[in-house]
Amino acid sequence: MNTIYALFPVLIIVAASLLVMILEAFFKRENRSYLAYLSLLFLIAAAAGCIKFWDKGYSYFDGNLSLSNLSLFFSIILIVTTFLVILISMKYLALQSANYGEYYALLLFALSGMIIMVSSSDLIVIFLGLEVLSISSYALAGLRREDEKSNEAAVKYFLLGSFASAFLVFGIALLYGATQTTAIPSIVEGVQSGVSVGSLGLVGLGLVVVGFGFKIAVVPFHMWTPDVYQGAPTPITAFFSVGPKAVGFAVLLRIFIPYFQDALDSRLIFGLLWVIAAVTMIAGNLIALRQTNVKRILAYSSIAHAGYLMVAILAQDTQSLVFYLTAYLFMNIGAFAAVIALGKKDHEYLELEDYKGIGFRYPWIGATFSVFLISLAGFPPTGGFLAKFYVFSAAVRQGLVSLVIIGVLASLVSVFYYLRIVINMYMREPSYDVDINIDNPALFLALFLCLYGVLQLGIFPGNILVLIRQAVSALPLL
Amino acid sequence: MEIPILSIVTFLPLAGALLFVFISRDKENLLRYLALIIAIATFIVSLFLYFNFNAQTPEPQFVEKGAWIGYGINYHIGIDGISLYLVLLTTFLTPIVILSSWTYIQKRVKEYLIFMFLLQTGMIGVFVSLNLFLFYVFWEAMLIPMYFLIGIWGGKRKIYATVKFVLFTMLGSLLMLVAIFYMYNLFYKATGTYSMNIFDYYRMILNPNVQIWLFLAFGLAFAIKVPMFPFHTWLPDAHVEAPTAGSVVLAAVLLKMGTYGFLRFAMPMFPDALQKFLPVLGILCVIGIIYGGLMALIQKDVKSLVAYSSVSHMGLIMLAVFALNLEGIEGGIYQMLNHGLSTGALFLCVGILYERSHTRMIKDFGGVSKQMPVFSAFFMVCMLSSVGLPGLNGFVGEILCLFGVFKANTILAILGVTTVILAAAYLLWMFQRVMQGPITNDRVRSFKDLNIREIIYLAPIVILMFWMGIYPQTFLRKMDVSVTNLLNQINRKEVIFTEAKTENKKPPVYILKEKAWDKDSTAKEDKESQ
Repeated sequence: MNTIYALFPVLIIVAASLLVMILEAFFKRENRSYLAYLSLLFLIAAAAGCIKFWDKGYSYFDGNLSLSNLSLFFSIILIVTTFLVILISMKYLALQSANYGEYYALLLFALSGMIIMVSSSDLIVIFLGLEVLSISSYALAGLRREDEKSNEAAVKYFLLGSFASAFLVFGIALLYGATQTTAIPSIVEGVQSGVSVGSLGLVGLGLVVVGFGFKIAVVPFHMWTPDVYQGAPTPITAFFSVGPKAVGFAVLLRIFIPYFQDALDSRLIFGLLWVIAAVTMIAGNLIALRQTNVKRILAYSSIAHAGYLMVAILAQDTQSLVFYLTAYLFMNIGAFAAVIALGKKDHEYLELEDYKGIGFRYPWIGATFSVFLISLAGFPPTGGFLAKFYVFSAAVRQGLVSLVIIGVLASLVSVFYYLRIVINMYMREPSYDVDINIDNPALFLALFLCLYGVLQLGIFPGNILVLIRQAVSALPLL
Repeated sequence: MEIPILSIVTFLPLAGALLFVFISRDKENLLRYLALIIAIATFIVSLFLYFNFNAQTPEPQFVEKGAWIGYGINYHIGIDGISLYLVLLTTFLTPIVILSSWTYIQKRVKEYLIFMFLLQTGMIGVFVSLNLFLFYVFWEAMLIPMYFLIGIWGGKRKIYATVKFVLFTMLGSLLMLVAIFYMYNLFYKATGTYSMNIFDYYRMILNPNVQIWLFLAFGLAFAIKVPMFPFHTWLPDAHVEAPTAGSVVLAAVLLKMGTYGFLRFAMPMFPDALQKFLPVLGILCVIGIIYGGLMALIQKDVKSLVAYSSVSHMGLIMLAVFALNLEGIEGGIYQMLNHGLSTGALFLCVGILYERSHTRMIKDFGGVSKQMPVFSAFFMVCMLSSVGLPGLNGFVGEILCLFGVFKANTILAILGVTTVILAAAYLLWMFQRVMQGPITNDRVRSFKDLNIREIIYLAPIVILMFWMGIYPQTFLRKMDVSVTNLLNQINRKEVIFTEAKTENKKPPVYILKEKAWDKDSTAKEDKESQ
């Protein structure tokens, strides 16, 4: 149905960010947590809107912005992500002297860009959303102005991000040249049927893969990830590791799942993605073994997870992909939340060495962090296990047995570095005292929510699965 | 409504673990007593299973079924004559290990008990699951508490040992997971319904070429767990480094999960591949028997001596199981219980010595029996039970195992007998060096004999050893029907597949009709695909 209501989620987020920008001028620095509460409130309103619009199928701008159930599900994933990120940011910003009012505004702008991306099936609109997201992200990465690493992160992200955007635009242009349209369904149709399209369309699709490969951080487009993840403020790292990845996959699945299903000859692109998935899983996990900084470990782990998600694209199974992203959201943000919990005024404990003895000194943080790590490693009964289970079983159904064997062996490697953190927390004696600020209720709320999410998805995933099935079944991928 | 006894047995320990989270860590004695009460309560409830068990039928009993995730993934548990005793073994040993670590574990008692209970739920869950997915969840989830038990309360090289243990086990089980996906998918393609029910999979007759790969994947996971030579290298490390209770549970129950896996999954599901691999498996078992025994002979550390004796004994158990006859398999299962008791008890004895001396080196002891006459008696019974002295449980099991193997293959049986000879050699020699002779080390003079607590937890084991040795009928008769059924399953499948082959068609999968008692299985029809 063509109705202006379709704009509601985006508009409310944009309104919130503008409001935050204006109010920032009136609040003293110490009182800026009100801005966070305000943002949270608007996020809840936006999420309520998304829930309300379920099954309604609203759209606007001639269908260029359409709230299919899948779009709504992705929007909710993104809103929840932002919600949790704001919760873990509140105290962090004050402690790390990064309490700038723009923070929440930028975060909300980025969110609005992402919602635009998941709600559209027109590549130009998607690109628009991507730019909104990217520009806010560059600023967020460099938020800690005095910190060298943060500046490095911002510049690196900006430079490589611009290149990726350029590739993407070029790809879109080529696809337009080949098919005379920017709407994904028509493009896919054109490329599939196309004798006339030929190599132009293939190169276009390849460039789109490059452009989004950067956002979702798959090998070989991952080079920026560790440095940016390490340099950016930790809550922003959590945000980067989930949000852009989710939207990247939301777009890729719209393009490639129908393409693989119906194309006369999709072997070339399929092979390309196959190699990317395999290399990403192997390289991401192997390099993570050698890291000693927890943020970098989590960075490489998120690269590896992009590889598993890529397997879901190759398996052409939207359901498992969405489930994986949902589980990944909770376990990854949870892990970062635990990392943030280990911080005090102007200092964060980020080296593996710092984690010695944490498990007994701070039993709740240690226990929840362990659960997230165990979930990331894919042990039952957590969401991470079930997510891998669905992705890999879908892949076996498609006959990708060798890719799955690579995947499970890669995740065996990952067990080693996830457990390394657990080993340090529980099995080694600390050589010095780690003193943290534990007066942080918002953070503990976030930790609890993530823990709940991980266990709920691991033990009783029934309801979420029903929702995902609804979202996917209403999926003409339009 | 019926009382879900099996669920209670499975999840009571988990409930205990959850309860413990909310009890202050300072109340150590409260925690210990409460843990003991919960463990004993679980054991008592599990005795219901034994007394109400119907030995006349091979069908699973105390079955509970509930919807869970869908797509064939259900909560489905039950026990038959094979899993009954393994569940009982687990519930029987848990109070004992909790008592044994009463004073040994001083640090972090709360966490220790929580992990112990999580482990117990995981282990029981593995034995009662009738849904492959559920089985896999328990199988993997159980690694985590064991990982912590070794890693936190273990010895000097605990981290090396625990990581090795986890990675070895994971390697096997992840490949098994891929095989599970494959079967899941195959079943769906053949019938149009999703199922993870193991009885559905029993009815699935797979092309032998496919079976080979699936058997390798499942077999590797179980062979690592047993452990069969050459996948045994994690075992001595894990055993030596683990705290006493960890070693006991590891030897008594965890290793049995591997043998159980073969009996429950790998053998009945892939009988053609099993036949192909039998010679290789038999030889590996014999190598394990001799190698384990010889390695045990030269160990200087009592605990690693017992660990290597495990490799040797488990080799015999697997050899008997692969004999594929009633005596062999029953003997194998019986010997699984015996090994659980006697090796568990030996680890307990080593733990008692260690608590007094803080060493496990054989050379540091000598003449201990003069200081500890009561302990000496207990230790001797446990040792002789492991050697297989007539009148004790080990003898019955070993004789049955060897009968079975002799029926199947004389040469392997003759080689297999060495396990008894070697066991006598290394155990008696160890006993002589540790317990007898003059006291060479002054520290031994300060050893106190067993206290009441230690007698309380050793006595039930020793009583059971005599009982199982003198009157094994109590235990064996409840297995007969289930084991016969298993054998039929293995043989029947061969027959059907050769029939299918002679008709010149080679379907990748062929689904049998359901059994009368398997009414609610998902695939209703006798279908043949492609």
